[in-house]
Formats: sequence, structure tokens, C-alpha cells
Amino acid sequence: MREDVRQEILPSHPAEATVVPAIELRALCKAFGTLVAVDHLTLSIRQGEIFGLLGPNGSGKTTTINLISGLSTPTSGEVQVMGYEVRHHARRIRQMLGTVPQETALYEELSAWDNLDFHADLFGMARKGKKERIMQMLDLVQLQERKHSRVSTFSGGMKRRLALARALLHDPHLLYLDEPTLGVDVQARRAIWDYILSLKQQGKTVLITTNYLEEAQALCDRIAILDHGKLIAVDTPEHLKQTYGGSVVELETALPGTVVDDIRRLSGVKEVIQEGTRFTVTTQGKSDVIPQIITLVTGVGELRQIAVREPNLDEIFLHLTGTALRD
Amino acid sequence: MHTYGSSLRVIRACLKKDLKSSFSEPLFTLVSIILPLNVLLLMSLLVISGGLAPTAVVMQDSGPLAQQFYAAMSQSHSFVLQQATTDQAAALIEQGRVVAVVTIPADFDARIRQQQPVSVGVKINNLNTDFTNDIRRALPLSITSFYAKAFPNMVTITPRERDAYPQDLGYIPYLAVPILVIGLMVGGMVQAGTAAAVEWEHETMKELLLSPASRLAILLGKMLAAFLIGLAGAVVVLAVLIALMGVWPIHWGELIGFTLLILALFTAWGTLLGTWLKRRTPLSTLAIGLCVPLFFLSGPFGPISFFAPIEQIFARLFPVYYAIVVLQHAFHDFTLNTYGIGINTLILAAYTLGGLILATVALRRSTLPH
Repeated sequence: MREDVRQEILPSHPAEATVVPAIELRALCKAFGTLVAVDHLTLSIRQGEIFGLLGPNGSGKTTTINLISGLSTPTSGEVQVMGYEVRHHARRIRQMLGTVPQETALYEELSAWDNLDFHADLFGMARKGKKERIMQMLDLVQLQERKHSRVSTFSGGMKRRLALARALLHDPHLLYLDEPTLGVDVQARRAIWDYILSLKQQGKTVLITTNYLEEAQALCDRIAILDHGKLIAVDTPEHLKQTYGGSVVELETALPGTVVDDIRRLSGVKEVIQEGTRFTVTTQGKSDVIPQIITLVTGVGELRQIAVREPNLDEIFLHLTGTALRD
Repeated sequence: MHTYGSSLRVIRACLKKDLKSSFSEPLFTLVSIILPLNVLLLMSLLVISGGLAPTAVVMQDSGPLAQQFYAAMSQSHSFVLQQATTDQAAALIEQGRVVAVVTIPADFDARIRQQQPVSVGVKINNLNTDFTNDIRRALPLSITSFYAKAFPNMVTITPRERDAYPQDLGYIPYLAVPILVIGLMVGGMVQAGTAAAVEWEHETMKELLLSPASRLAILLGKMLAAFLIGLAGAVVVLAVLIALMGVWPIHWGELIGFTLLILALFTAWGTLLGTWLKRRTPLSTLAIGLCVPLFFLSGPFGPISFFAPIEQIFARLFPVYYAIVVLQHAFHDFTLNTYGIGINTLILAAYTLGGLILATVALRRSTLPH
């Protein structure tokens, strides 16, 4: 009832008045006793972007999502979704939020249709057009032929697709996907990625948590890296690579080299790993050290192969947090 | 955003969903429905088996006075008598099939007529002191009632009984009511608690918690589904109680109303426990584990006002006691306490509302795993 009163004061949708961020976190903290799960997190997610939240287990991703959806109360700080303060508008925010939990949270003993029908009623969807909308969603995820089958008979990929259909059913502004392709085969993964990318074209804001950096790289406009509840970095995948990655030079020589120490001493070289006749040299930022490396190596023997590549997000993550993402 | 209409729709959706889920597991639903009946049978066996002491009587004298003495024993409400020869009786007590052997001597009639002392032999299997004490109490009573009938002039003290109620109430009809309440308790709590806990176990609670639906509406829908399945169980128990055991209610309207209220109460508390414990195994263990002590605490064999004060205080803390009070009134038209049926009903309604409010608070405070 309080929300109804508040509705008269607020514009029906704040986004209509000004372009507000889809999600805005300001100095957000959440502590469970002595454990600080989210530590002064400040983050702004724009409307219409696909945003990735990356971090190892226990980094604070789920707690952050719980805080965003109003399932948990912040110890301090502020959360706004589409301009609404979560503390006072949790129900309104849940109405705008579609979620695909990691474990899908489907009623396995019920049919695909019954799951969607139940969701539609929970979200107060208008009866008129409900059936058509359910059909449309089942069509979208190519499960129309299995609509009356029990979910328990579905494969992992089918369940995930159904969960996606359910999350989209009430036409949310904001979609949260928790590990959307976990346990899904390569083909289904590709299809899910295509759905997610099509959501962006529909103007939806998508928040993804994932442990797959390849997935984040393929889907996300921007990525935030969390570790121990703290924001380590936030940027586009490309810019993160440029800022934190430098370049990776992979060389192969004719003989096991003796120049490792010389290469290490070069300014701009961050790390050198030698495996027999192979070297992997990581440089810092945009560096012009590569010609110097080639000169040193060719000075002591034949250079058989050289490849210069950008670092992947795994390497950036390792660089930023000191741990691998799936540790 | 949230009107009564949308809340009603959520209630209906949760009710429909839970019923469909239950019917998708017909065996579990069937077990849930017959669970209160199981409790009825179990408790009935438990209490009935402790009633009367099986006793063999060796009638060495078949005279009229010996027959009168046998009749006095059989009317004492303490023995299940069977006549036997000396050898048969010895075998019966040896095999543990009777608690005692009473031997009426061959000169019983003659000695009594001559006003000489008679020794009635009693051999007791005193392994079970409960039965032993029954025999020790009942035999002197049988002697007194024998004399009161055979020689009324010799027994000058006679009780003058004035009954508080128009008819006596048998042991079984009295006991049937507490057993029915415990059946409703176990059935309601296990069904509703399971429906709540399974949402956590299957991690479908996320779908509910992440929806904008009112928590109260979600719980009411779930409770209603559990209530309907529990009601099927209650109907089965009542049918057995009334049609097979012959325990007829005096106030049918009260019986229906109070049964619904009591079932709603335990459904609410089952939902609370399921929401709080989040697991089915501890929920079932707790519900079934609670039923036996609450049964004995709440006056199954007689009004708790006959109990020690501390027991009375404990009994009044639990709704089982008030449920027994109102159902005893519905079945037998007597009130076991001085509050009146209205107040007892209000107390039960308050417990129901309390359970519902606490379950809603528990669900509102619930969060997803970190």
C-alpha cells in the first residue's frame, strides 16, 4: 500500500523522466558477522547494456545480486534499480527483473507450460494474452513441442532455455542470468548466447555472472571484476586487456636459450616463462619492448617461431586478483 | 500494484501449483492422507493394550456363591477373565498369556455359608507392575462388591453417586478425541511443512522469492493446498472413528468447524516449521516426535485439571490441549476447562493466526544462499 502512495509522487517510470542507470550501487556494503561479503561497491550499469560480473566463488557476486533484487538488506550504502531505491521498492524492482538462476529453479514435476503459467500468475500478468505470450516464449526457446512434457524429462540445455523463457515471460526491463551456460553443451551454449545478444537489441539490460571468461568476452559490453567483495576493475573487455594485459610474446628458438635473465631485465617485461626452447614473455601495457626481445633472442641463435597476441581475460584476472577465476 | 485481486490470483496459483505437484507424486499424497489414520491406529493400540489384565480363574467350586464371586470379578472393569483347569491355568501363566491365576477353592460356598475365612489363591506374574497393581487393587474391590450383592446386610457403607453428566463416557470414546487431535496435528504439520521445505530443497524458492507476489499470498496458497490434502486425511480418520469405532459426535456443526480450525492451525505451524527448517527430514522428525509427548501432556486419559500443577501449566502452553477441549465438547458435550468453548476457540484461532504471521515473517526474512 505504501508503494501505491509513493507511486503518485514518483513518475510511473523514472526512466521516462530522465535516463537513469539500470542499476546503481553506491558504497554498498554487506557484512555477515565478521565476514564482509560486499565491501564498498560502487558501480553503475547503463540501460541496454550487457554487463558481466566476474569473480571466483565467494567474491560477493550472489550477495550483490541478492542486494539488487531486495532479497538481502545492505549493511550500508545504496542500491537503485531503474531509479528506484531497493529498500523501499523491492516489489516494484522484482516486477522489472527477470532471473535465470544457476540451478534454474524450475518445478521439475510440472510441465513446461505449467511452469510458465505459474510464473505468469506470480508476476500478475494480464489473463488476456497470457496464453499467447507463453506460446511465444516457448516458440522463442524452441520448446513448443515439449510444452506438456514434465521438466524432469528435459536435458540440461532445455531446462536452461525454459528458465530463460520464464525470465522473459513478464517482459522485464532487466534480466539477470546466473551462469547462463553452466553445464550446457557447446551447441546449446551458442544458441543461448544468441538469445542474450538478441535481448540487447530489444533494449533489455542484461546482468550476467559467469566463471567463463570466454562467455564474458563474447557477450558483455562491460565487465566488473570482484574479489573478496571489492571491485577490482570495471571496463570493456577490450579496454581491460589494453590497460592490464599488455601483450604476450610466444617464441621458439633452435636451442634452449641462455637469454632469459637478459629478457627479464628489459624495461616493460613483466614475466618470462621458459619451457625448453619455448619462451612466453608477458609485457606490461603498450610496450615497444618486443623488438628488443627479438634482437636478444636472435643474437644467440635461430628464431624458429614468434607470435604476439593479446592476453585473454583469464590472464588479466590472474594479474588483477592473483588467483585463477575457477580456483 | 498489489490489489486484493492480484493477491487472490497468487493464492490460487500457489494452490493450483502445489496440488498439481502433490498429484504428480500420488504415493506420497496417499501416504499423507492415511498418515493421520496411522496415528489413530497406533495410538489406539498403544492405549487399548494397557487396559485390562488377562486373568485365568480356576473354579474348583461351582456353587452359586462361587459363581457370584466370579461375576463380581468380571464386572470390576479390570480383568479379562477366562475359566481354566488347574493345569491349563498353570500353562497359561507359564506361557505369559495371563497376568494372574485366581483359584476359587472347592469349599468356597460352604465356608462362606458357615462364616468361616476363605482363602482365594492368587498367583501373579509380577513382571509388569502396572498389571500387578491392577490385580492387587481389583481383587479386594471384587470381594467388596461380592459381599454387597450376596449379603447386603453385611456391607453397611454404600456410595450414593450423583453424575455430573447424563451418561457415562467410555474409555475409548474419551481417548478417541485426543487421538484424533494428534492425527490432525501430524497430518497437517507434515503435509504443510513438506510443501514449504521442498521449495528450499529443490531450490524453487528462488522463483517465489524473486517474484513481486505478496509473501502472505504465497503462503496462504501453499497452506490451502496442504489444508485440502490434510482435510482428505481428516475425513478418513473421522469416518473410521465414527463408522467403525462408533464414536458419534453430539454436535456435528462443532465437529466440522473445529476440525477445520484445528487443521488450519497445524497447517499454519507446519508451514512455519517447513519455512524455518528448510528441510523435510528434520521437519517430519520434529512433527512426529512432538506428537507423542504432546498427546500424553494434553490429557488423553482424563481432564488435565487432575494432573500436577506443573503439568497443567505445560499443557496450556500448547494448542493441542485447547483442540482436545473443543473436540470433546463437539463429540461428548462436556467442557474440560472453565474458559468456555468461545474462549477456547479464540485461543485456537490466535494460535492459527500466530503461526501464519510467524511463517510470513520467516519467509520475508528468507534470503538466497550466498
